[in-house]
Amino acid sequence: MRDATSFDEFYRSTSRRMLRYGHAVTGDHGEAQDLVQEAYARAWRQWGRLAAHPTPEAWLRLVIARLATDRWRRLQRWRAALSRSGPPEPVPPPNEDAVLLAGALRRLPAAQRQALALHYLFDMSVQDIARETRVPDGTVKSWLSRGRARLATLLPDLPAAEELEANDVA
Amino acid sequence: MSRELSDLYRSLARHADERTLVVPQELRRRADRRGRLRVTGVALGTALLLAGLVTGSGLVLAEERQPLPPPAALPPPSGAPAPTPATEPTATPRTPAGTPPRPTATPVATVGNAPVPPRTPATVPDRAFFAQAAENRTGMEPVFRDTAALPALCGARYRSDAGIVQRRTRHLAYRLPGTPTGYVPEGSYAHSITIYRPGRAADFLRELRAAVRGCPEQSGVAGGNATTERPRLLADGGLGDGSVLFEIRAPVRDIDGNPTGGEELRLVRAIRVGDVVTVLWEQGWEGTSATRSQVDADSRRAVAAIDAWLR
Repeated sequence: MRDATSFDEFYRSTSRRMLRYGHAVTGDHGEAQDLVQEAYARAWRQWGRLAAHPTPEAWLRLVIARLATDRWRRLQRWRAALSRSGPPEPVPPPNEDAVLLAGALRRLPAAQRQALALHYLFDMSVQDIARETRVPDGTVKSWLSRGRARLATLLPDLPAAEELEANDVA
Repeated sequence: MSRELSDLYRSLARHADERTLVVPQELRRRADRRGRLRVTGVALGTALLLAGLVTGSGLVLAEERQPLPPPAALPPPSGAPAPTPATEPTATPRTPAGTPPRPTATPVATVGNAPVPPRTPATVPDRAFFAQAAENRTGMEPVFRDTAALPALCGARYRSDAGIVQRRTRHLAYRLPGTPTGYVPEGSYAHSITIYRPGRAADFLRELRAAVRGCPEQSGVAGGNATTERPRLLADGGLGDGSVLFEIRAPVRDIDGNPTGGEELRLVRAIRVGDVVTVLWEQGWEGTSATRSQVDADSRRAVAAIDAWLR
């Protein structure tokens, strides 16, 4: 038996964070909205069991990340076609940090986007990310390091990757 | 921690906060509905498979053939039973003769005597976007992007934006019929579909009309050069439950920014279908001008796709 009240409460208390996370792992507002709603729909369908899960929010993040990865693969073909011959890219509003970051994130591998989002949006440590994504600590460090290095090259105003790594991966 | 990257993520979070998701009750309702459809589909598929097996077996085991079980019941189509309008349209519908006008607010349907919640679409599926005619296809697939759905009109803002449930925008290029294969496209669109809360779609059309009227001239940028754009409302009708068509003209300039004597024409059309508005903003291709007949044809396709989606 699924308890709608507890699900609604879970949804209201977590959906904003999930939408931020979805945006960070997809680099796109509209996609994030679709993915997050799909993830919650799946959560509701198995809420009877999921309500007893120790960390339903972590479960939801994993679903969002997987959906984003699946969709990412399909979108790559369209984006490649557009970059070759599509209409000119709309000019983002000046000083729009979110637009700049989203654009750069779209050029990172899914795992790096996921690790960076967990770290910067949820303040998760390397160990926490490793536990959630079920990979060794070293892999997470590598994702964070490479992701930030790549962002540093895509966003020229950021400090160099070496400086980025100095403090916060430990 | 890198302060700068943290700042960027904070900006991204603020940006994401501007979006809203459907209310949880609506999300649960949709998830359950999809679950039922999936179960029905599996049951129907199983019934068909069994029917095939039984029929096939019947060829050799005629004496063992039993009456087939009835197929699994399918849920009624979303459009049936006929909805009963609960509110009056807020705008005078301009529909072709013989086509019943759609109320602005989503109607309350009834099953027997029991009212059922109004069916307001919460998300815009891919199938709501029209498929191009074969002769217009360029070989490039449309690309969905989170981008502006309308050109700027002297900085106009739309109060009806507060009533947006969801908006999706895509870019698609087209070629005109008869263009030889291999030629570059003749133009492109920013094509959006927006779901509004009941009644707000008609508000948006009114606001858009006012915005165009209030902006006879504005400064713009074309090809890196400053230019002057002149928006103007055009007569329009016969599409959906109401529409607004306007043009934006700007002088064509050479690479140095000097006028060449010609004009570049953009056409923008917003069409309301119930609580949904679709906007076709023709953006040209490397300086081409919009072709009215093509925009009209694609507008009709856009409305037909939305009709099919909402049916």
